[in-house]
Amino acid sequence: MTQAQIKAYVSGAGITLSLTFVAILFGMVLGLLLAFGRMSKSKTLQGITWTYIWVFRGTPMMLQLMIIYFGIPLISSALFGRPMGPERMTSAYVGLTLNTAAYLAEIFRAGILSIDKGQLEAGKALGMTNGQTMRKIIIPQTIRRIIPPFSNEFVMLLKDSSVVYILGIGDLTRTSRQFAAQGEVKFYFIAGAIYLVLTTIFTVLFDRLEKKYAKYE
Amino acid sequence: MSMIKTENIHKYFGENHVLNGVDLEIAKSEVVCVVGPSGSGKSTLLRCLNRLERITSGKIYIEGKLIEHRESDKNILKIDPKEVAKMCSELGMVFQRFNLFPHKTALENVTIAQETVKKTSKEIAEKIGLDLLEKVGMAEKANEYPSRLSGGQQQRVAIARALAMEPKIMLFDEPTSALDPELVGGVLEIMKQLALDGMTMMVVTHEMGFAREVGSRLIFMDEGAIIEEGTPDEVFMNPKNDRTRDFFKSIL
Repeated sequence: MTQAQIKAYVSGAGITLSLTFVAILFGMVLGLLLAFGRMSKSKTLQGITWTYIWVFRGTPMMLQLMIIYFGIPLISSALFGRPMGPERMTSAYVGLTLNTAAYLAEIFRAGILSIDKGQLEAGKALGMTNGQTMRKIIIPQTIRRIIPPFSNEFVMLLKDSSVVYILGIGDLTRTSRQFAAQGEVKFYFIAGAIYLVLTTIFTVLFDRLEKKYAKYE
Repeated sequence: MSMIKTENIHKYFGENHVLNGVDLEIAKSEVVCVVGPSGSGKSTLLRCLNRLERITSGKIYIEGKLIEHRESDKNILKIDPKEVAKMCSELGMVFQRFNLFPHKTALENVTIAQETVKKTSKEIAEKIGLDLLEKVGMAEKANEYPSRLSGGQQQRVAIARALAMEPKIMLFDEPTSALDPELVGGVLEIMKQLALDGMTMMVVTHEMGFAREVGSRLIFMDEGAIIEEGTPDEVFMNPKNDRTRDFFKSIL
């Protein structure tokens, strides 16, 4: 492998990681809001969040990215007479975030609902507000329970971020494709190996985190 | 002045009429034991007092102050939520299934509400917490997580946790029903001590021995209503109502 190729792989892995982290971080924030919306008493909020999750989980991520990157300029042309839309990387960040949020919302919701109702009652009976009970009692217990599905979602995202291929972004997968297109299959395997190393590292990290949180069980 | 007073409270769960016009008054330092068949509404009555359930209609006074007045599931009395939280924290509650916070040590279970609700400093909260754990005989286990404690130990911590808020009234919802028989005595002993200290208590229980020894009044409930009440010996030895008689016969 040449220096330039190594550099390209490093940069590709960097893009893959960056997409994953951004999507997971913003996806967590949005996902938590969605989860609370789904569990709220307001029928409107329930409806909005339900629809959001239904749409983003029910359609392919690749199609979502295409709509954001290729579709928005078309809509803009039709409406304002000139094509305007987010650039490649922004589209990728936004698309992956919106999609991840839908999955995380369901993970969070399931986690929160799995906490025994008696915990909420105990908090209430002690004079804690709903917010305080959520923050001090429910959420900390939820974290421990959602680490396994969260870890799963993280690893999926790390691999599935390769769909940005369709936007022409040079992540790990696209980098390997570019080199392998010249006739050498090893470039695919190199990318595969890097993905494996990355997913293994994160799986181990999440396992440790789970053990750390399990100390009270 | 009564510590707790309810006027004609009704509670429906859907079609199910769980409380059917309950009038109850509890004076300071009284220990009122509530017995009755399952589904008689005794736990629901207790849970309505600190708003874990909302009554369908009726009035609830705590220390003479009207804190809940509803008709047809609608609030008649508008009251600031902060005021409500404060009122509720004057009612300590002990649950059948303990409901300790599993991610907190015994001591943290006792300090958390002091710190978050009363804004007590950590230092003082821990001091109070240790004193209370001492009182319930759990000081040695202060740093253990609930999963490492027996049911009886957990319930004792739960009592200390409720006491940490300095409640004026303690509500016990079948506090020994989930315990192995050999662990029941220790918990009842602590409750007896509390009663001797002058705590106002309302105890839903099946422990007739406790009711007779510690209770100042015994209430028998059936089908959402108070059927009979009086001193424990009176009700127990000489029940006037057939249903009360049948119930005592069935549990002995």
